[in-house]
Amino acid sequence: MPANNLKENFKADKQVIRGSGLIGSMDSGVPTLVDVKDGKIIRIRPLYYEMNYDKKDFNTWKIEARGKTLEPPMKGLVGPVGLTYKKRVYSKNRVRYPLKRADWNPNGERNTQNRGKSGYVRISWDEAADIVASELKRVGKKYGPEAVLSQADMHGETKHLSPSHGCANRLLSLLGGYTIQMRNLDSWEGQNWGAKHVWGCEPVGEMMPAANLYPDIAEHGELLLFWGCDPETTPHPIQGMMSSRLCYWLTELGLKSVYICPDLNYGAAVHADKWIPVLPNTDAALHLAIAYLWITESTYDKEYIASHSYGFEKFEDYVLGKEDGIPKTPAWASEKCGVQEWTIKALARDWAKKVTSLIHGNGGPAIRGPYSSEPARLEAMLLGMQGLGRPGVHQAKMIEWWIWREYYPLPYQGVVNPSIPNFSEQVRPAGSMNQAEMVPLYMGKHPELLKLTELMPNPPKQSIPKCLIHDAILNPPVSWWGLYGFLEPDKEQFKKHTYPAEGCSEIHMIWTDSPCWITCWNDSNSYIKALQSEKIECIVAQHPWMENDCLMADIVLPVATRFEMLDIGADIGSGVLTSVFLEDHCIDPVGESLSDFDAVVKIAEKLGLKEEYTGGKTHEEKQEMSFEGSGVEKLISFKNLKKNKYFVIPCDSGIKDVPPGLRTFFEDPKNNPLTTPTGLLEYSSSALKEHFPDDKERPPVAGWIEKSESHDERLSSKRTEKYPLICMSNHPRWRMHAQGDDIIWTREIPTMKIKGQDGYLYEPVWLNTAEAEARGIKHGDIVKIYNERGTVLGGAYVTERLVPKTAYMDHGARWDPIIPGELDRGGAINTITPHNITSKNATGMVVSGFLVEVEKVTDEEMASWRKDYPEAFNRNYDPVTGVSLSGWLTDEKEGN
Amino acid sequence: MNKVFIFDISKCCGCYNCQLACKDEHVENDWTPYAKPQPEAGQFWIKIQENVCGTIPKVKMHYIPMLCNHCENAVCMEACPEKAITRREDGLILIEPDKCKGANGCKACITACPYNAVYFNESLGLAQKCTGCAHLLDNGNKLPRCVEVCPTDAITFGEKEKLKEQIKDTVVLQPDSGCSPNVYYKNIPGKFIAGTVYDPVEKEVIIGAKCILYSKGKSVETFTDSYGDFWFNDLEAGTYDVTIQAQGFAKKNFTGLNTAKDINLGDIPLEK
Repeated sequence: MPANNLKENFKADKQVIRGSGLIGSMDSGVPTLVDVKDGKIIRIRPLYYEMNYDKKDFNTWKIEARGKTLEPPMKGLVGPVGLTYKKRVYSKNRVRYPLKRADWNPNGERNTQNRGKSGYVRISWDEAADIVASELKRVGKKYGPEAVLSQADMHGETKHLSPSHGCANRLLSLLGGYTIQMRNLDSWEGQNWGAKHVWGCEPVGEMMPAANLYPDIAEHGELLLFWGCDPETTPHPIQGMMSSRLCYWLTELGLKSVYICPDLNYGAAVHADKWIPVLPNTDAALHLAIAYLWITESTYDKEYIASHSYGFEKFEDYVLGKEDGIPKTPAWASEKCGVQEWTIKALARDWAKKVTSLIHGNGGPAIRGPYSSEPARLEAMLLGMQGLGRPGVHQAKMIEWWIWREYYPLPYQGVVNPSIPNFSEQVRPAGSMNQAEMVPLYMGKHPELLKLTELMPNPPKQSIPKCLIHDAILNPPVSWWGLYGFLEPDKEQFKKHTYPAEGCSEIHMIWTDSPCWITCWNDSNSYIKALQSEKIECIVAQHPWMENDCLMADIVLPVATRFEMLDIGADIGSGVLTSVFLEDHCIDPVGESLSDFDAVVKIAEKLGLKEEYTGGKTHEEKQEMSFEGSGVEKLISFKNLKKNKYFVIPCDSGIKDVPPGLRTFFEDPKNNPLTTPTGLLEYSSSALKEHFPDDKERPPVAGWIEKSESHDERLSSKRTEKYPLICMSNHPRWRMHAQGDDIIWTREIPTMKIKGQDGYLYEPVWLNTAEAEARGIKHGDIVKIYNERGTVLGGAYVTERLVPKTAYMDHGARWDPIIPGELDRGGAINTITPHNITSKNATGMVVSGFLVEVEKVTDEEMASWRKDYPEAFNRNYDPVTGVSLSGWLTDEKEGN
Repeated sequence: MNKVFIFDISKCCGCYNCQLACKDEHVENDWTPYAKPQPEAGQFWIKIQENVCGTIPKVKMHYIPMLCNHCENAVCMEACPEKAITRREDGLILIEPDKCKGANGCKACITACPYNAVYFNESLGLAQKCTGCAHLLDNGNKLPRCVEVCPTDAITFGEKEKLKEQIKDTVVLQPDSGCSPNVYYKNIPGKFIAGTVYDPVEKEVIIGAKCILYSKGKSVETFTDSYGDFWFNDLEAGTYDVTIQAQGFAKKNFTGLNTAKDINLGDIPLEK
């Protein structure tokens, strides 16, 4: 059919490169090729590495094992969120111009109680900058600089020259200081607060070092226990799809994959040889029963325990019931965890018999449940009982292959680890260790660059854990242990901190660039109530999309996405190859949006601090400096990089000689000690014994905590009379936490949203067939999931993929309040997650493994809500995108 | 020189990249004369079908991507009153938007297609479907978008003649449609019968129990694994009997098992 001369019509005007990762800093993710025509993105495709280079330049890695070879493909393995990002850039939910909450008047009534209810009006950039600048001055003068809280942590788009997070911190520093929200270690809570006290493994308590784990597993492993790990879900929005290929290959080699998780997760659905459904957050019981069998059947490595461990006899006493009179038998565990006694025994014996590694992916029992420290410690201890560090015996991850690591578990790293700096202020309270000290490899080396990115004056004198912000506002003073800085050595966990800090004011203004507290953190209904407090006089949010915490802000600044600015990126996490790429001009900013950095410049200008803030450099100059300081300048000139747009860093062949995992500790623990106080694997923690000898929630010997002063979330609880299901909340299948809930094309996928009979796309609530039947719930029904903390609506997803006595809802769905702080329609399950921290001395959050009930929403109930809260139901609703910007404008015409 | 698609279901991880890339290529992009823009939502020129098989805990999943089969005997072509549906030299079948417009939304092709692969674009008044990304193939690209974004290389696209070997062990959907599709599938799993065998007195799984599957006078044997599990996979729909025997235990029989659905026999106690 095609006539001649068609070619021009089909040719893009230009092709640029963009990373697709959404972790928020450092790793740009899988590089993609973006075609632009007439100033619009027309398509996003994988980058073909051989486009401008010859494959032999890459010195490509390979793993050879059992007669088979794994090699990287010659294209970027972009995942579903990266691939559909065009819909995120052009979303109907973009903040297209500065907004002010309609009934907030900085010179009159502030109506803080209406946050979450009020609509917004369009204002000019000039007015927005004036208001923010004068509020900063007013609040600083009245209360002191620490009255301004900066919420600037993670999980926006990865951007370097204008980072998603922390641009405001630079300005607040110049203004004399601020209070910083310290992110609790949401990806590694249990490991940080628990496993560290078994094996050290700084900085976050996951097994370290991680060099060459997969080559070693491929050669020696027999059994892989994917314990709460979903290799098909959690990695893809960060690092793409290499974990899929790796899982298929390990199966092809003959390794058996056993998935232990409450749900047949998306990895188990296609990779599992065996699925063992376990009740949420009961894994510690299963761990203890396995230890019981190994001890009573003498199927653990006694020699290793004798030479590599400390305090094992105390653990043995606990397991056998000599301490509390309760032997931790399979029958005992079966009642707690829901796994049949015979299956527990089979698992314990299979593990003891086969060369076994545990596979993780920032999910599961060790992360986000009540007392997550316990399963995390027990898992490390079980690995120890089978000779941790010997060939094929490791804890390995399917995600974050690069993070904190000198050497990666897959041998894809290059001869240089590219380090591209962030032009924002690091999150580091005064006197804390900063990230550069903990992980120096991330810092750029260019002298001028070092000057520009060096720490600003006036680091914050006051820090509040993110998981305690609501308490800090509603019930000060608040005290907690550790978590003063983001990454801290274990000894810091024994320091107590208090808010308000000495000489500092309470907070009265908030500036957030991480506006997803509501849909990602603990008991956010309580947080919503805190933000409605009169104490908080002004909230400023900067974000590309009108979602979640933005809906509580008084001023919303429109921010450009990574496609609308100049940047430089590095893929260090995809596991395919490492590369550096110039992210040159792609499209103009949508609406009046500005990059995060330039948005803050607008305010700095009003305060007379523009020159100090910017350092007098343009983004073009910073792009070049960043490259010149990255380490990669030794391999290619900036001029050639400009020409070729990307550069693949040749793989380092020497990596294969680095000992895998904890091999040197395995071979010679005396000369290669762990960082624990004894240098050994601690089955009874000497540090916890010293500092918290009487802690029943995190005792010196790890164990099973049925209930305690912090939590009462087990099936044995009296609360089950009203809330008989344990709610599990995972990393979302089709989002990166809160990112991407408005992508139309993923919203059409049956596990992303469920269309209710009212046409609203609800977040799925999974129920086992039997539980649904018992409640008269059918697939697709509108349901409410609730407990004492509030109610969330969802769409029933009735399935055999979930264990009974459980409900499951992903986190990160956009908050769409009917009654802010009580009732949500959008599916923000975190509004009803537990209030209290991991345990009283462990400052982590609990957002999974808590009691709820699920019921069908009757027509009468829905009708009464519609009648009582018409403003919530009358918000403009786009049938495919959901509630978006126009739904929150008081004069809807302004949205057009 | 027909172009064909081959989907290896055993390598499909369910990421939906193919379905999503198709939308990235065709929504809001006008590739006339190959195709007008696909609507913002609601059309799936390639669509993933999710299959959840069995009951807890014996549950498995597979995903089957479905699209226009670019059939040898394309009934849509015959059905079109405007002769708007044409086959290219490379076998790809296109609906020419301008000619289709002349049919005034008759939807005859939509009714005729046994694969439900043709959609109606209400706002444009056009029938639309997979073009095999012919506009890209004609302009220097080797692969349709769905193929290039597959992270596990589960999709092969190319000329039928050159892919003979790969096509050998494949099936087509609805082979009785008479359409002779050019989209092939391999490793679509059949039905399963599975269970876990255990000793209710000792509360132990029974490893190595002999499990025999009988159907139409034939039998297949397997043994329970280290979790006491047995799996009879890739069964045709039909009626089966299963016998389980282990030394020291009474034999257990299951009869008349109908594999219209996958069967989980659950945790099976063997009496002494």
